[in-house]
Amino acid sequence: MDHIPGTARDGFDPGQAAALLDQATRRARRQFTPLSPLLFTYRAVVALVVFGGFWLSVRGQHPYTGHISGWAIAVAVVLAAINIGWTAWGIGRAGTGVSGPAQRKWQAWTGIMTAAWIIGYAVTAPLYHAGVSHPVWGLYPASAPLLMIGLAGAAVAAAFRYWPLAGTALGIAVAAAAAGFGGPAGSWLITGIGLCAVCLGIATFTAWRQRRSMVRP
Amino acid sequence: MTTELDPLIHVPTRLKIVATLAALPDGDALSFTRLQDMLALTPGNLIIQLRKLEDAGYISSTKTRNGSARKTTVALTGQGRAALRDYTQALRDLLGGLDTGATSPDNTVDEISAGNTKPKRGPRPRPGRNHPDPADPAPPERPGLLPGPAR
Repeated sequence: MDHIPGTARDGFDPGQAAALLDQATRRARRQFTPLSPLLFTYRAVVALVVFGGFWLSVRGQHPYTGHISGWAIAVAVVLAAINIGWTAWGIGRAGTGVSGPAQRKWQAWTGIMTAAWIIGYAVTAPLYHAGVSHPVWGLYPASAPLLMIGLAGAAVAAAFRYWPLAGTALGIAVAAAAAGFGGPAGSWLITGIGLCAVCLGIATFTAWRQRRSMVRP
Repeated sequence: MTTELDPLIHVPTRLKIVATLAALPDGDALSFTRLQDMLALTPGNLIIQLRKLEDAGYISSTKTRNGSARKTTVALTGQGRAALRDYTQALRDLLGGLDTGATSPDNTVDEISAGNTKPKRGPRPRPGRNHPDPADPAPPERPGLLPGPAR
């Protein structure tokens, strides 16, 4: 009797093999992805809530003082802490048991970007301490740190050939640059909307990349 | 057109192993323990399947020792990636580009792996000479190929 390749005796036909290949690949991609689509979606919500909250707390100020209300800062701290914890957990989970050049490169990227975020926002402290004018204080924190972080991140990601992350970082820089035109109060809102859009974009892209079929073109 | 299904890969457990390792960037390796956790296999079963793949040059394994802790890592070789590419192409050819439900299967990974599958309708592949690994019998234990699992 003729034998059909991949079928018969073990009941494992090509259709099932294709399904198994796709599902095993998707499962592995999900588990090896440090920054999940859900995390990026959460970040999109955080950007909108935090920067939107800042905007709400400063938009009615006449004259503009740049003072952000305590509740907005408290919400930002809590959501940012959750984001940091979730990110650290995701990176740790994805990298468990993985070794090699790509893994070392990812660790280097993580270290560089952590430093960029800290330095980017740390320089606002000397400005505040120096007593810069309120319009400057209003514009600077909303756009300048993100502009620097975005550009640095895009350069490093491009050097590492992380093209989706390079696009994301560039999107952050563009949103921050656009925010500069929004005025002291409006810059917060523009930054929030811009970051939200960028995060939703990378979340969609990551989800698509995880789900794309190995077999189906 | 490639229509031969590599019998070494065309076994559910080994297909899952190769697909999992292929999801890592080229050159990266995965610890035996993590692989075992991801695939929910017993150490013995995983070792047997890894040995077959290593014999064919599809994977490489490295054993390292850090003090009293031993660690075994496995990685897909270039040959293994090429074999998976060919296997995937053969699947595409066999399925003829028709909607076979490959991306929305009747059976889940776990059901297929456990052998709890039901026959599917769809284009039947053409008769050929390439036989899958019959019943995939476990080979006798051979020392020295793949190191034993270490946590």
